[in-house]
Amino acid sequence: MPADDSTARLRLPPELNYAFLLLVLLGIAAILTAAMVLQYGSGELPCPLCLLERFAMFGICFGIIRNFRHGFSYRNTGYSLLCGIFLLVVAVRQTLLDIYPRPGHAYIGSAIFGLHMPVWSIVIALCVLIAYAVKLAVLGENASLRDTAIDAFPAFARLARVASLYLIALLAVNFVSVVIQCGLGECHTFSYRLLG
Amino acid sequence: MMAAVFATALLAFVVAWRGHQRFASVCFLVSIALAVGLFLYEIYSPEYGFRMPWLQTLDNPMPWMARRG
Repeated sequence: MPADDSTARLRLPPELNYAFLLLVLLGIAAILTAAMVLQYGSGELPCPLCLLERFAMFGICFGIIRNFRHGFSYRNTGYSLLCGIFLLVVAVRQTLLDIYPRPGHAYIGSAIFGLHMPVWSIVIALCVLIAYAVKLAVLGENASLRDTAIDAFPAFARLARVASLYLIALLAVNFVSVVIQCGLGECHTFSYRLLG
Repeated sequence: MMAAVFATALLAFVVAWRGHQRFASVCFLVSIALAVGLFLYEIYSPEYGFRMPWLQTLDNPMPWMARRG
């Protein structure tokens, strides 16, 4: 029996919702992968605030992965927004720390398109927060978002599963990297603590 | 401390993936609390506190302002 027009219209928002979440997840996974490549490829050790910015980006993905794994919930959206705000606060503070040149304070790492990591983090946080605001404004509160699991869209479900597992693996690599760099104490940017 | 932040975050992700939602939420909130505490610790200066006096250009005139005066 063919689906009528009203059913087809109801199915559109969940697809858009999961496409949006998948896009954010893939974008952040690409950024975090680039950060690891720069760290180990170019020997650029991350500063403590840079590591907190990475943590905040992983936190944004926490809510998204839960949405993929256990169905959509606005609580998970709250987790993502919380970490988006934390990312913005940390990045703004770090930018303000280094914005005026003085001894012992300078942007760490190489610039990409003229912007350093903390400035990029501000851009990323703003993009995530604006994207969530637009998504909420466009899709609004919709019961069909909560009632439709991502499994209803097999292509999205497969991609989401791979991306989620990749992100968890990336977090595990970051955890090991943090232990090697900082041990159980303070982090420094001049050497890996456990490698002498 | 940073290791604890990432360890609790990793635990939250793994536990959430395996289906223990409440425990995952607790781990995640603990990791956020640790991260906020670490952030405050990192930006606190014994000399300035949380202030950023290098941005207060009115009290610390720039060289070109001094020359103009």
